[in-house]
Amino acid sequence: MQKTIRSWIEQGRVDLFIACKMSYGHPLPHVFSRGNLDECQQIVPDTFKYPLDKFALTLARQHPELKIGILARDCTQRSLNILRVWNQLEPDQIRPLPLSCCPSRLADSCDCSYLNPGECGQWKKEVGLDPGLSPEDVRDMPPDERFSRWMYEFSKCIKCYGCRNICPVCFCRECSLEHPDLVQTGQFLSEVPIFHLTRAVHMAGRCIDCGLCEQACPVDIPLRLLYSMVNQIVLDKFDYQTGTSQEQAPLNMLGTELA
Amino acid sequence: MTSKRMIFLQELLALFGLKDRLRLEWISSSEAQKFVQVVTEFTEQIRSMGPSPLHGKHKIDRFAITGGMLNAKDNQKLD
Repeated sequence: MQKTIRSWIEQGRVDLFIACKMSYGHPLPHVFSRGNLDECQQIVPDTFKYPLDKFALTLARQHPELKIGILARDCTQRSLNILRVWNQLEPDQIRPLPLSCCPSRLADSCDCSYLNPGECGQWKKEVGLDPGLSPEDVRDMPPDERFSRWMYEFSKCIKCYGCRNICPVCFCRECSLEHPDLVQTGQFLSEVPIFHLTRAVHMAGRCIDCGLCEQACPVDIPLRLLYSMVNQIVLDKFDYQTGTSQEQAPLNMLGTELA
Repeated sequence: MTSKRMIFLQELLALFGLKDRLRLEWISSSEAQKFVQVVTEFTEQIRSMGPSPLHGKHKIDRFAITGGMLNAKDNQKLD
């Protein structure tokens, strides 16, 4: 992998390569270019799941002429697909080098330990939602129970914006969650449930199940479950599996076409 | 586009127990009668469904929840 990356930079296939370098005993994101080719020997896989695609997007926005390479986990590749579909990236701006490691339902191979849900506590099982549930399990609950369990989960939110900040497919420069006319701003606890349902609606056709939001959430709201329920609706109603292709998405196209 | 979003949103709200509270109609400014009819019908439909869960019996007391979380051994990640 290190040799491939080095050769990509040397041959001019990419101007920069974003990968992880072992620094102080931890794989930290690092940019490799012609200026620091020797450091390519220290490239390691991105086992801590940094949102490298967000770094690449920021760089691509500031310098649209650059060709950027990126060490891509399976979720990174899906998010790059989405960014292309939603016109945030040109096709050749970012070149991924695949690193297959994903246990999500959306991917084929698996090695990532982050998406294995840990054992859920008793209180959470009684009043809230076990993150290990599938969307079908939630649908089987009666509507009253569904409502009260989700309201419990949303009420824990402290509006840290962690989920939105780390999401690789959240690319809006002006976020509706910070717009005072749409969602109540300026108070400590977020407006339940509008904050989360707004986020859920924005994740329709965009969430690629990388799990970074749930990892980032300090109060353990089962966000992966929420967004997988949302994308299940998109799959059922529009026959569109998010992130698997670079074709236009139903919710990205004006008019009534679905493809 | 709106119709796609509405289909999706109706499903989403149904998933949260807020079924049948959202409706989309295309009415031109010259179709006053249709407007009256739709609004009356929908108002009756909503009224018959009772108060919204957001303001009804499921109103959540946030500080009780936080207290419950701190007292109970909730989730191992929080320990």
